[in-house]
Order: sequence, then C-alpha cells, then structure tokens
Amino acid sequence: MSAAAPALSISGLTKRFDGLVAVDGLSIDLESGKLNAVIGPNGAGKTTLFNLITGEIPANAGRIMFAGRDIIGLKPHDIVRRGISRTLQIKSVFGGLTVMDNVRIAVLTHERMASPFRSARSLRSAARRTEELIAEVGLSEHSQDLASSLSYGDVALLELALALAAEPKLLLLDEPVCGMGPQETERAVNMIRKLSKRIDVVLIEHDMEVVFDIADYIMVMAQGSVLATGTASEIAANSKVQEAYLGTPEDE
Amino acid sequence: MTTSGLRILFSVVLLLVLVAVPYVLPALGATFWVNIVSEILIWSLLAASVNLLLGYVGLLSFGQALYFGFGMYGVVLSINTWGVGFWPALAIGVIAASAMAFVTGIFAVRLTWHYFAIITVVFSLIFYFAAMSTKWLTGGDDGLSFTPPPVLSIGSFRLSLADAEVQYYTILVIVMACFALKYLLVNSALGLRFMAVRENDRRAALIGINVYFTRLAAFVLAGALAGVSGALFAFFGRYASASYMFYHVSGEAVVWAIVGGTGSLLGPLAGTGALIVFRELVSTAWEHYLIAVGAITILVVMFMPRGLAGGWDALIQRAATGKAGTSETAGVAEKA
Repeated sequence: MSAAAPALSISGLTKRFDGLVAVDGLSIDLESGKLNAVIGPNGAGKTTLFNLITGEIPANAGRIMFAGRDIIGLKPHDIVRRGISRTLQIKSVFGGLTVMDNVRIAVLTHERMASPFRSARSLRSAARRTEELIAEVGLSEHSQDLASSLSYGDVALLELALALAAEPKLLLLDEPVCGMGPQETERAVNMIRKLSKRIDVVLIEHDMEVVFDIADYIMVMAQGSVLATGTASEIAANSKVQEAYLGTPEDE
Repeated sequence: MTTSGLRILFSVVLLLVLVAVPYVLPALGATFWVNIVSEILIWSLLAASVNLLLGYVGLLSFGQALYFGFGMYGVVLSINTWGVGFWPALAIGVIAASAMAFVTGIFAVRLTWHYFAIITVVFSLIFYFAAMSTKWLTGGDDGLSFTPPPVLSIGSFRLSLADAEVQYYTILVIVMACFALKYLLVNSALGLRFMAVRENDRRAALIGINVYFTRLAAFVLAGALAGVSGALFAFFGRYASASYMFYHVSGEAVVWAIVGGTGSLLGPLAGTGALIVFRELVSTAWEHYLIAVGAITILVVMFMPRGLAGGWDALIQRAATGKAGTSETAGVAEKA
C-alpha cells in the first residue's frame, strides 16, 4: 500500500452480458497522483470497466471505492457530483448548442443552479467560469459556434471542457486521441499531461506511442481481468503482454 | 437594425395587433373573428405545451389533452361545487392538471421516443374513457355547464366575461403571461438543462444532470400550460366536456406545434393561428379540409423543419444581416 489513499480502489468487479463475462473479478488499486493508462486488445473490457465506474451499467458483483465510499449502485449523475468525470470513445457533446452554452450548462449544473426564472446568461460567476474553461481547452475563438460545426479534434476538446466543468478529482478518458491527426494528437497529449498534474487521470488508449509516452503506470487488461501492471518499460518487456497482443510465437 | 432588435420590434407589433383586435375587427364588420382570435390564443397554449416537451426536452407527447381536460374540469367542478371565484378556479384547474402530469409523468418520462408517445396516449385514453363513463361527475360527452364568476369584483365595480372585451383581454393577458413565463424558462438554467437532455441525454447525465427529474419537471410544466389552456377554454365556452380529453385533441396540438415550429417561443401561436384561420376559411366550403391540413403538415416537415416561426426567423435574420446565417441564439430561443 502506498502512503496516499488510492485514486480508485476496485475489488472483485464483475460484469456479465448474457453469458459473456466482460469484466471478470477485476481488482486493482489505481494510485493517486499518477497518470494511469488502461490498455488491452479489443474486447478486453476496458470501456465496460469505465461504464461500470461511472454507473452507466450495473455491476453483477464487486466494489469500487472512491473518496472513501463504495460507488456501486449510484446513478451516473451522482457519481459525477462525487468527482468522477469522463469522456467517451465517440466524442459526445450537445451538438445543437453553441460551445458557450455547452460549457455553461455544465458549469451551472456543477453549481447546482436550476432556477427556472433567472436568465442563465446573466449569472456572472458562471459566465466567468465558462469563459475560463473554454480558454483552458483553447476554444475561445469558437465560443459562439455550434458544437456540431466543430472539427473532430475541437469536439474532443469541448468534451474535455464539459468534463472539467464538474471539477473532477478523477478524470476518465476513453481513447482521447482516437481519430485525431498528428497536430491534434500533440495538442491533446500536452493537455492531458498538464491536467494530470492536478487531477487523477485514467485513460484508455490504443495508440501505444501515446501511452508509453505519457503514462506513469499501465494496466493491461485481457478477457476482463488484469493481465499485467507496471511502468512503460516493465510492460514493454512483459512476455504475457506481447502474447496477448501478438499471439504466441507458434501462431505466427 | 440588429437581429434581436428586429425580434423585439416584431414582438411589440404583434402585441399591439392583438391588443387592437376587439376594436379593429368589429369596425371591419368581422366581430365573429374576435372569438376566433380568442380561440387561437387559448389553443396556442396547448400547442406550447407540446412545443415545450418536443422542442426543448425532445419528448413527443400525444396525450396533452388529458391535462387540458383536467384544467377544464378543475375550473367547472370547483365553481359548481364550491362556488369559488375566477382566479381560484383558474388556479385549481392549473394545479389539477399539473398534479395529474406529475402522477402520470412519474411513469411516462422513464420512457423516450415512441414508447413515450404511446404511454402518453394510453394515459389520456384511460382517463378519457373514465371521464366518459362517470357521467354523474363529468357530464360525459354532454359535459357540464356553469356560470362564470366575475374576473374582478370590487364593491359595485365588476368585470364580467359576459362583456366581450373583458373576456378577450382576460384571455390575452393570461396567455401573454404564460408566454412570458415560458420565455424566462427556456432562457434559464433549467431551460438549458432541458436542451442538454434533448441534445444528448447520456452526456447530460455525465455532466451531473439528473435526466429523469429534468424530464419530469418539463412534463409537469407542460401539463400546467395545457391546464391553463383547458381552464381558459372552459371559461370561454362556459362548459367542460370529456370529449376534449380525446387523443384527437392531443394530435391537433402536435400538428399546430410542428407547423408553428418546435423549439421556438412563438411557434405555437403561429401554427395554431395559421391552422385555425385555415379551418375557419376552408371548412365551410370543403368538408374534407383536413386532407389539406395533412398536406401542409407534411410540406412543413419536409421543407421548413423549424416551422413557420423558424422560417420567419430566417427572414428576420436576412433582413438584419443581409444574409442567411446560423442564429447566434440558436441554442436558446430556437432549435437549430
């Protein structure tokens, strides 16, 4: 056990879909203050793991301890309020609204503001926070554009701003650079690295170059459980991991 | 002139026209049309109820007539049973409609899309048949009549609905107040939550919005709007009838809302106005005029997805900026 409490402590987590075991008794402590990455072949259960952590699908068994409490059984919006935000593999924002309104809704929701009579735009502190967040992800010049008109990379940045509006303690990123060009990837990687200095970050990523570049600690999943954990160099040298990705030498 | 300047100007002109109706129309020899305008104003609130759900939270209800009916009966039964005044009767009608929307909404907003549409029809049919068969209470198809109490009574000063002008302005003031409240609502933090749920309910939950309660809040508020509509219609017609709870009435409100433009504040007024005027002009000459209404609806859906109000708004923007463009307020006042 490390001295600091883990960012997330998972034990015996299990999810079955009609006979298929997507997550199989998974147990792991993710250390706080580290940039954690989850990798693994397709169908390993990585996204299912995220869906279980955010309460979007119910678990069959197990515990997920976050900030001193088991969050299994809580609703997604409750889990967000407790400090876990996430982005999705297929970037997900409010397409028909402006960038500004997208972020404003997230800020107002975080501030528990739901008055039916006061004009949302007249709320000063929320407006300031909204502008800060848009500036932080570098979308200031697009703030009046409809979210549906943004480029793919900008949508990903907007989604990140929505996740950050909730002031999360733990941020889950599902394939943050998937589908991005080299420049967008570099911008996103720099942002993630910066964020991980103040927020615990767990990311799922298929781009191994990115993972080995930025992750402090890597967890390899295969068939719903933990295959290996360790630093980038430990994982790169692990023969079990090579097998999972490349198959055994006999298969080649 | 800026886009918002033109919008404000248009709203003011519209209001002045509506205020002038009881003077101008009789002077033109069209006294009968004052009542048509009253009817348009009243029904536009039922269309606004559909508009709030469909345009702002993305739920298509085919059962808003149920809450219209509760508004009607709330007024008539409270006056006939307890002899309450105008405003308490109106309040009771709206509260009855909202309470019913709350109870049915608890179940209905668990569903979305066609499942939601079906459950709202089912609820309205259940209560339609219940109202039809409890003739001792509701009067069934024949309905219940009543004598409306005065709108205002101070000493010997009385404002009575029997006076055509009092009736028209009472309706106008209440309907405009409802649209003003709806304007505040859709521009508020709660209104933004509605739109977040409409745009993407998964992301809405992931930024901490309780999607279920947000939908329930919208459903109750839409029920209240339908309730005001029903209550006013009871005062206007001096009676309540179970036949107004039939899904045919709900369906008409959906058509008005869609033709007028969902997700636009004054769309319901435009759609209801256009189609009721069309009905009045054409139905006397052509019995099957509803075929044309159907064709109009299909054409609007295909070529003007934002409805009459959306088309009008595009014109205003073109006038203001010299070109068609995306609205700077697309997220708030209109659905893009």
